[in-house]
Amino acid sequence: MKLEAFLIPEDVPSAKSALKRLGEKGFAMAGGTSLHFLAVSGKTAVDLSRLDLSGIRRKGGVFHVGATTTLDELMRDQGPGWVLDQVARHTSTQQIRNVSTLGGNLVRVFPWNDFPVALLALDATLCIEGVREKAYPADVYFDGQPFRLFEAGHLLTRVEVPALKRHQGFAYHKEVRLNAGFSLMTAAARVAVKAGRIAEVRLAAGAAISLPARLPRVEAALEGRPAGDARIEEAVATGASGLAWKGKEGMSDAYAAHLGRVVLADVLAAALRQAEGA
Amino acid sequence: MKPLHEIRFTLNGEPREFLVSPDDKLLEVLRREGLTGAKHGCGTGSCGACTVILDGRAVYACLLYAFQAEGRSVETIEGIGGFDHPHPIQKALVEGGAVQCGFCTPGMVLSAKALLAGNPHPSDEELKVHMDGNLCRCTGYEKIEAALRRVIAAGGAR
Amino acid sequence: MNPGDLKVVNKSAVKIDALSLALGRPSYVADLKPADALWVKMLWSPHAHARIVSIDTRAAERMPGVKAVLHHGNVPRVAHCTAGQGYPEPSPYDTFMFDTKVRYVGDRVAAVAAETREQAEAAVKAIRVEYELLKPVFSADEALAEGAPVIHDEPDLSIPIPVPYEPGRNLVAHLDMEVGSLARGLAEADFRFDRTFETHYASHTPLETYVSLAQIDARGRIVITTSTQVPFHCRRIVAQCLQIPVQRIRVVKPRIGGGFGCKQEMLLEDVVALLALRTGRPVFWELTREEHFRTGRTRHPIRIRLRMGVKRDGRITAFGMEATSNTGAYGGHGLTVIGCCGSKVLPLYRADNVAFEGKVAYTNLPVCGAYRGFGATQAFFAVESLMDEMAEVLGMDPVAFRKLNHIRSGEGSPVFEALGEGKKGVPMTIGSCALDACIEAGARAIGWERRTPWREKSGRYRRGLGMCCLMQGSSIPEVDMGGASIKMNEDGSFNLLVGATDLGTGSDTVLAQIAAEAIGTTLDKMIVHSSDTDMTPFDVGAYASSTTYLSGEAARKAGEKVRRQILEVASGMLDVPVEDLDAAEGVVASRDGRHRLPFSEIALHSLYLKDQRQIMDTASHITHKSPPPFAAHFAEVEVDTWTGAVKVLDYVAAVDCGTAINPALAEGQTEGGVLNGISYALTEEYLFNPKGRMTNANLTDYHIMSMRDKPPIRVILVPSYEATGPYGAKSVSEICINGGMPAIANAIANATGARLRATPFTPEKVWRAIQETSKIR
Repeated sequence: MKLEAFLIPEDVPSAKSALKRLGEKGFAMAGGTSLHFLAVSGKTAVDLSRLDLSGIRRKGGVFHVGATTTLDELMRDQGPGWVLDQVARHTSTQQIRNVSTLGGNLVRVFPWNDFPVALLALDATLCIEGVREKAYPADVYFDGQPFRLFEAGHLLTRVEVPALKRHQGFAYHKEVRLNAGFSLMTAAARVAVKAGRIAEVRLAAGAAISLPARLPRVEAALEGRPAGDARIEEAVATGASGLAWKGKEGMSDAYAAHLGRVVLADVLAAALRQAEGA
Repeated sequence: MKPLHEIRFTLNGEPREFLVSPDDKLLEVLRREGLTGAKHGCGTGSCGACTVILDGRAVYACLLYAFQAEGRSVETIEGIGGFDHPHPIQKALVEGGAVQCGFCTPGMVLSAKALLAGNPHPSDEELKVHMDGNLCRCTGYEKIEAALRRVIAAGGAR
Repeated sequence: MNPGDLKVVNKSAVKIDALSLALGRPSYVADLKPADALWVKMLWSPHAHARIVSIDTRAAERMPGVKAVLHHGNVPRVAHCTAGQGYPEPSPYDTFMFDTKVRYVGDRVAAVAAETREQAEAAVKAIRVEYELLKPVFSADEALAEGAPVIHDEPDLSIPIPVPYEPGRNLVAHLDMEVGSLARGLAEADFRFDRTFETHYASHTPLETYVSLAQIDARGRIVITTSTQVPFHCRRIVAQCLQIPVQRIRVVKPRIGGGFGCKQEMLLEDVVALLALRTGRPVFWELTREEHFRTGRTRHPIRIRLRMGVKRDGRITAFGMEATSNTGAYGGHGLTVIGCCGSKVLPLYRADNVAFEGKVAYTNLPVCGAYRGFGATQAFFAVESLMDEMAEVLGMDPVAFRKLNHIRSGEGSPVFEALGEGKKGVPMTIGSCALDACIEAGARAIGWERRTPWREKSGRYRRGLGMCCLMQGSSIPEVDMGGASIKMNEDGSFNLLVGATDLGTGSDTVLAQIAAEAIGTTLDKMIVHSSDTDMTPFDVGAYASSTTYLSGEAARKAGEKVRRQILEVASGMLDVPVEDLDAAEGVVASRDGRHRLPFSEIALHSLYLKDQRQIMDTASHITHKSPPPFAAHFAEVEVDTWTGAVKVLDYVAAVDCGTAINPALAEGQTEGGVLNGISYALTEEYLFNPKGRMTNANLTDYHIMSMRDKPPIRVILVPSYEATGPYGAKSVSEICINGGMPAIANAIANATGARLRATPFTPEKVWRAIQETSKIR
């Protein structure tokens, strides 16, 4: 992307007012590592990376993750119930992880993006600050391109990620040819088990379908079932049928559908095992 | 012709000023200054031949805009070691037969240096994760990894 | 000479340029670019097959900063081939600097030289071209079929050597040979096999893309500083294309960032040289990574059909290979690569009835060229896969089956004489072969005794062990030549001048070790200057695994000659007969121990004091055989039978390269080649859209492995002694890339029973093959 100019604001209020002033010509830049996918020019970059918007703080049972927290920071163990390290570790390469931020991966979503899949499964909340702060559940935030929710001068300031509880299990899998490659199929599942039954399932997929999304029919087929007789493959087979699977890198759509079902079953089984193990 | 801006950052320990265009990448600015150790391998942040250290972290100079270095500290291969006093990482790579065409080598040195500065005793897995952004086509990585393991075992990398 | 007597050779000396590279000193072409250099940008064809009806560069020429624009209308039209091969080349002269036709997506259309890169890019966009689209063909079969569009219909095509060439049928080359009778051999067999295998396009992906710099020096000569494997061929071809004398051109290769064969080509130098001549300015051209993928050279996709016959006792009675390759839009290296499918592979196993047929076709796809392994890589996938299948039918262990049939020291093969490089081949008896020792060492290291039959395996994740045997060659005998010059300085140091080309392989170091050994001095006394057409003797360049075996012998002979001169001067100084003197480790001593002269004293004396002379000599060498290195590779894999994903758990490469001049460098070459072979087998591929355009032309979508992805690789050097090579050496740099596909294919078969016959082994292919196998289980 060819830049017209750049600004390095001192604080969040001046960042917001600069973006508001620039309107269409402004471009909020946190890590800036996905810019070569954007064929735009003539913008003024507003560098957010030095603002006080990074860091991870735990408040009660929720991790508050600043939008400009780098993936390298996310890769570190933040304490009990922190699971986003599993996602960050498998995103791109270290030099990218050192600069790329959580927020930078969440305003414009590409089909292969990893974090939306995990955040949907984790029932995260995304906070956009304009004049006031507005909190969007992930289900709403990712129901379309997120930048539709932003007006000029709005900033994603933080993501609230519930810590994994003892009766819950979480699993994330990204099927790639090599570690740094784009995902062929991504899935994340959070499963809660209570009194021997599956109490809640949040299952999301990405990469092999057009945009990251939850799979409610699979969830419904599993919820209420005994944990010891979950019949995951059946639930996936029926619940994920009719999805528009897309093969990548020369793979056929039929194989993508098969791979999708295997990966979905894998994450559900792993999340269930973890939930049961508690 | 876009207006040029003056930016300031610390380069290999010295405060420096540069006149840059808004879309100059850090790699271009460094190479224009004669610091050719960081190289063009891909221009898209995939190969690692352009790796430099920014505020202690390994980054791709080909992806970062020069202005992203404003007010920060940049370390390049030119600031590391010399013929008479190579850095332990350089010494280990050289003596370990880990340098073939050498195009990836400065990037490897910088990524390893950044890792070991923060974590002097990474596990095998951690080492591989932190070196995963530096591609090499000549060596198969075997001797590079072995050399870095020796540096870690000797505890002598700063 | 006793291997135990070697003082410099067979030691893992530190590479002489390693520290300077680790320090990031300016060493590569792009680091040497002068501040006033013009930037080149090329307009590439967006179409796979089209005629250029008109081209209008007037707007581009008027744009800010633009100094020159080249296209078919304003450059010399000289038919040539870009392949870096000895003259006359065994490749058609089917290329023009700019032509009125484009033959693949990425073919040259026009070039701009401007003050800045941005200005050059903008000017390229302003060039107006009108194309008449032509029907393209994208496979060898389509291209060779009746009525296919003719890709090369220009009237001024030619072939330098009379070889079969039918451009009207898109046929670039055709080779065949038969010894005995394949039909009879098959009839005699107890078991007959007819299997077809397909291999795919790959990019060498050196970390440094193609890059070239041309300047006019103070005397008006063109100096080309370029990332090349073939400086002398490059000089000759640029002279040919620009129609100027060779004398006016100097080609220099500084440090380069890898080649692996892609830079055995004159690909950029004609354009930068002509632009430098026309503008009087230095001219710099560096391909982007995307351009390197689209417009650079690649590996030939080859279909190999094998017909083999074997007796119940395991003896091979018939060995027939038909190889059909797609050479892309231009024919350089087409004939020689297909020839090597046969010449570097068929001799490995004894058979009385051997047949080979090779056909090479033009297509409207990216141009294939020289890629490490050079046809042997593709053919070994086929042969070594079939060897395992045959062993299974025979009920023999794959290792035992190979040991029974492979060529041994003292034996020859009719294939060596029958298949040459455009000319007759050279007969050869194997002088050194430690293949059995390689097999034994590799089997022990991987734990081959753990191998169990695939039918006994179950479960989602299954492990398998596979192996393969390999050979290659060392140099092109009777054709290629290398030279070395050595001169002595007053402190006992030496300048070693060699045309041989170090791509990062360490040839400067290896040749310095050989020369130092021959002179009787130590490595630290050698100053190497290489690959400079003004200053160094001729050398064909780095290809055909030549540098140690061919150029090394020139360095050794030159070293011997210089040693002789040193002894003569010392003899005069000491008044002791030459026969009573010996030179070692930089000192001349008399055999009775009474006299001792350090080299520095001898040199000082010879340069300044008495009977002054420059101690200096030159030697050239051509080889008379191409002794194969041999290797056995072993792989252990784990297959996820539900997804088809293959993980390599362990890989052992045991190699006989004769004497390893520098064991650490030989290991390093092998480790690098092995990993390249593994990713070629599993993750690298060119994906094309229906219009022949590569869709994954970047390093994220074209997958090469990182330190995190790679499996552990162990190399075992197994020594042998090749009397015709310097200090017993053969070669090591190509053979190692040949093992990945067959060893992994055989391991996948051992894990699952599924036999992959088309590469790369993507998860979908593996999964489908497993599905097929479970149907017939």
